[in-house]
Amino acid sequence: MKMLVFLALLAVAAIILPFVCGEYALSFTIQLLVFAALAYSWNIIGGYTGYTHFGQVAFFGVGAYVGALLTDAGTPWFLAALAAGAVGAAMALVLGFSMLRIKGPFFAIGMYGLARVGESFALGFDGITQGGTGLYLTPVDLRPIFYTLAALVIGLIYLTQRLDGSRLGLQLLAIREDEPTAEALGVRTTRLKIGAFVASAVAPAAVGSIYATWLAFIDPTTAFAPMTELTTIAMVLLGGMGTVLGPLIGTVILSVVNELLWSRFPELYLGLVGAVILAAVLFMPRGIVNTLARRAPTWLPAWLTVSRGTLRRLSVAPKHV
Amino acid sequence: MPFLELFVGGLLVGGLYALMSCGLNLIFGVMRVINFAHGEFLAIGALATVSLVAGYHLPFLLALVVVPVGMALLGLLLQLLVVRRLTDAPLIMSLLATYAISTILVNLSIVVWGGGYQGLPGVLDGSVPLLGLNVSRSRLVAFGVAMAVSLGVWWFLQSTRFGRAIRSVSQALELATISGISVDQVRNVTFALGSGMAGLAGVLMAPTFASDPQLGSRFLIKAFAVIIVGGMGSYPGAIVAALLLGLLEVFGDYEFGQIIGSALLYVFMLLMLLARPRGLLGVGIRV
Repeated sequence: MKMLVFLALLAVAAIILPFVCGEYALSFTIQLLVFAALAYSWNIIGGYTGYTHFGQVAFFGVGAYVGALLTDAGTPWFLAALAAGAVGAAMALVLGFSMLRIKGPFFAIGMYGLARVGESFALGFDGITQGGTGLYLTPVDLRPIFYTLAALVIGLIYLTQRLDGSRLGLQLLAIREDEPTAEALGVRTTRLKIGAFVASAVAPAAVGSIYATWLAFIDPTTAFAPMTELTTIAMVLLGGMGTVLGPLIGTVILSVVNELLWSRFPELYLGLVGAVILAAVLFMPRGIVNTLARRAPTWLPAWLTVSRGTLRRLSVAPKHV
Repeated sequence: MPFLELFVGGLLVGGLYALMSCGLNLIFGVMRVINFAHGEFLAIGALATVSLVAGYHLPFLLALVVVPVGMALLGLLLQLLVVRRLTDAPLIMSLLATYAISTILVNLSIVVWGGGYQGLPGVLDGSVPLLGLNVSRSRLVAFGVAMAVSLGVWWFLQSTRFGRAIRSVSQALELATISGISVDQVRNVTFALGSGMAGLAGVLMAPTFASDPQLGSRFLIKAFAVIIVGGMGSYPGAIVAALLLGLLEVFGDYEFGQIIGSALLYVFMLLMLLARPRGLLGVGIRV
C-alpha cells in the first residue's frame, strides 16, 4: 500500500517534470529512465534468479536496430518499440532454451560473446545497417518519449514489488541460492529460468528502440556498448541486487555521479566511472538497500529497505569452505 | 585459395593467442575469476614496447625482458589490491571489478599514449624463406618466443614443485589447503605469471601489428573463445585451441572479410559452449 503511494508520487512527479524543467534536465532524466529500465530488467535475471548475465546489451542493441530500421521505414516510434520488445522476447525464448543450460562463467562469457557477435554483424551487414556509419533518424518530440519511459519504469518497479512478495519470486530466489536443491524440491527451474530470461529481455529491447529514437541515430558501437552493460549491472549492485528499490536508488546515484564526472572531466570520464564502480564493488557489495536493512536508522520507514537477509547466502558466504 | 600462406599465417597468429590465452586460463583455473583486464596487459605491454624502442631507442631484446616483468608486477599489484578480496565472492563481483579496472587502464593508456595507432617500424623487419614462402621475420620470432614460453610454462606446471602446487589449487582447492599449500601465495604468483604472459604477448605483437589503447578488448574476446574451445582451466587445451582458432580466423577473414571473419570465432565459441561446454580438452570443472 505504501509502495503504491510511493509509485503514485513518482508518477505525479514524472507528469509535472517536463513542465517545470528545461531541455537539458529532460534529456538527463530520459537517460536515467533508460538505465532504470535496464537495471530493473537485469535485476530479474541477475538479482533474483542469480544468473551472471553479462550480455543484456545484446537485447538492447538488437532492439535499437529493429526500432531504428522500422522507424526508418515509416513506422511510428512507439509501434517500433513494441515490435522491438517482441523481437527481444522471441530472441530470449530461443536463446533461453540453449544458453540457460550453462552456468556461471560459461553463461557470462557466452552472453558477452553474443553481444560482440551482434556488434560484428551490425558492422558487417552494412547493406542493412549502414555499418559503422550508423543510421540517422528524424528527431521527434522528447515529451512523449519521456512519458513512455516513465510509465515503463514505474510499471517495472510495480512488477518487481509484486514479484518480491510472491511465490514466483521466492522460487526464483531459490534457484539463485541453490538450483539443484530447488529442483529437487519441485521448483520447475527450467521453465522459470526461461520465463525470467524472457521477462528480462523485453524492456531492454524496447528501451533500445526508444533510445535510438531519442538519439535520432544508432551505430554498432553505441547499440552494443559494453559500457552500457557495465553501468547497468553496477547500478543494480550499488542499490542492492534482488531488492525492489535497489535498482532505482543505484540508477539515480550513478546517473548523477556519471553526469557530474562527464561535465567536469570528459577526458578521464571512462576511468573515473570505472573507479566509482570498482569502489562500489569493493566497499558496498551488498548494495545500499541491503546495508540499510541491516543497520536501518530508526527514522527510515521500514518498507524502504525490504530485503531478506537470511536468503542472501550466495552474496555473503564464500564459495569455497 | 593460397592454402599454404593462409595455413602458415593462421598458425603464426595462433601462437600469440596461445600465449595470451594460457595466462588468462591459468588465472581462471586457480582463482575462478574471469579477468576482463587481461587484454589491457597486452595493450599496455605493446604500447610500452613502442615507447621504449621507438621513443627511447632501447634495444628490443631489453623490452622483451623488462616489459613482461613490469606487467607481472602490475598484475601482482592488482591482485593484492583488488582481485584477492573478490576471489571467493560471487562471480559477478570479480567480473565487474576487473571490467572496471579494464576501463581505468584503457583511459590511462589513452592519456599517456593518445588514442591513435602506434607502429614499431625497423624492428625485426624483412622476411625469411620458409617452405617456399616468404614469412615475415617479426611474426616468426613472435611465434617462436610465444610457443616456447607457453610450452615452458606448461613444463613448469607439470614438473616443478610450485607448478604442482598451482595445479592442485586449480583442481582441488580443499585438498591443496589441507596439504599445507599456501593458497594465497599460489594465487599471487599465478596472477603475476598470467599478467606477465599477456605483457609478453604485447611485446611480441608490437613489431607486427599497430597498437592502440583499445587493442586489449579486441584480443580479450579472442582469448575467451580460445579458453572456451580448449576447455576452461585446461592448459594444453588452450594451446591447441589457440592454433585452431588462429587458422579459423585467417581462413574466415579470407573467405568472408575481416568483420565476419572474427565474428566466426565467437560463433564457434557459442556453438562449443552449447555442444561441449567443457571444451576440447577440459575436465569438466564444477562451478
